[in-house]
Formats: sequence, structure tokens, C-alpha cells
Amino acid sequence: MSIFHAINTSASALTAQRLRMDIASSNIANANSTRATINENGEWEPYRRKMVVFEPKDNSFQSFLNTAANRPSTPGQGVEVSAIVEDEEPFKQMYNPAHPDANDNGYVLLPNVNPLQEMVDLMSATRSHEANVTAINATKGMLMKALEIGK
Amino acid sequence: MKLFSETFTLLENSLNYTTAKNRSISNNIANVDTPGYKVKDVVFKQVLDGEMNNLEAKRTNSRHFPFTNEANSPYTTVTKQGTTYNHNGNNVDIDKEMNELAKNQILYQALVDRMGGKFRSLENVLKGGN
Repeated sequence: MSIFHAINTSASALTAQRLRMDIASSNIANANSTRATINENGEWEPYRRKMVVFEPKDNSFQSFLNTAANRPSTPGQGVEVSAIVEDEEPFKQMYNPAHPDANDNGYVLLPNVNPLQEMVDLMSATRSHEANVTAINATKGMLMKALEIGK
Repeated sequence: MKLFSETFTLLENSLNYTTAKNRSISNNIANVDTPGYKVKDVVFKQVLDGEMNNLEAKRTNSRHFPFTNEANSPYTTVTKQGTTYNHNGNNVDIDKEMNELAKNQILYQALVDRMGGKFRSLENVLKGGN
């Protein structure tokens, strides 16, 4: 067991929350991108909203053994992003016949991004990031204090 | 007469406990946005005695190695099932965790201070008060 275990745990969360902020930023930035991918028919498709999937990082042999034997668990090793998934919600439609990507009926498909939702997600990620920074500082304070033993 | 009194062992155990608690609090804060994550807490084993008894039975000989390397420590980590604060099955109460973090940090510093004090008084004795 490393004495820096708790710092590593919090650092994994900082990485994960930063990725979440990046994804939310990317979603906001592409809120109007009508040409993101090309589908099977060779046509442009709008940007699809992306989401991160968080998973507790607890993949030690010890933790699996504990789960199997119904024993008390180990503290775990933080959090990890297991996947970035795309939102399968339908695209927004807007009537704009002048748009270069408008279909025959004059409708344009727009990304399924809701900027409000992304802002809320961004705020939540910021707060979680700050909480983890506080946790790192607490651990750091404890480790520095431990060095004073015997002084 | 023992040079190092039992107070050192007690302080050492308490320091180990606060370190383990810090690890689990850090992990809880790290997983505040993880769907389905349940809070983990470090508790002293005496509290769990009733539940722990059946686990000891898995070792047929006391000389067998225990499954966890923490089996000899006086505390253990438990997962708190049953509650949910968030619609995604997560039960981390961030306010509680931040409070626990602050409390644990102060406790740790107090323990280190006390340990330092013990060493200083020992040193004082060894030097004959000079």
C-alpha cells in the first residue's frame, strides 16, 4: 500500500472530471455543427451529443475476491472513464430552406445538444473537480504532518 | 520496564486508522458522479463483531493466511448499501464527506502532535533533563 494512494485516487478523479469538462465544451462548441459524420448513405450527419461513463476504479484481485466471498470491501482506487457514448436522442429539426444542408422539405437536422444541459454538467464537473482538489490538499497536509513525527 | 509505552502502539493504530479513513473518503469524493457507486467507510472491527464471526470460519486453521492483508488490523472497510441520494443510484453525500475529510485531517494532526510529544518527553528522560 502506497502512502500516496489517496492522492492517486483523487488525481484519477481530477482527470475524469477534466475529461467531462472537455466533452461538455465540445458539445457546446458543436451545438450547430450540421456536418460531423458521414452516414452509410454517404450523407452528412449532424454532431451527436457525447457523454462520459464513469466507473469506480476497483479492479484489484483483492476487491474481486472480497466481493465473491461477501467480505468487507477495499477502499478502491478512484474513478475512471470507461467509455464515451453518444446520445441516441433524435436530432433537432429546423425549417430553413436556405441552409445548404436542408432536405427536400426544407428542414435542417441540427445536433441533439441542449446548451443549458451542458452548462449544468460543466458546473457540476467544476464543483467535483474543486472537491477533489480539497481532498488532495487534505492528504498532502496529513503527509507533511507525518514527516514531523520525531522532530 | 518497556521503553516505548503502549501509548505508541495506540497512536500508531490510530494513525493507521485515520490514513485508511482518508483513503476511503478520497475514494468517495472521487466517485461522487459515478452511477451506482455506494459509499465506503472505515470502521473498527468490534462494531462489526457479529457480522465478522462467520467470516473467520472460512479459515480452517488459525495459521492459514487470511484472505485480506488487512485482517490483522483493528479496522475494516464497509460499503453502505441501501440508501440513494441521487437518481443514478449513487449515495455519496458530498457535504458529509467534506466534513469527514476536515475532521479526519485534524484528528491526524492531533495524533502526530501527540506522538511527537511522546518522543520529546522520552528524549528529555534520556538526556536526564539537560
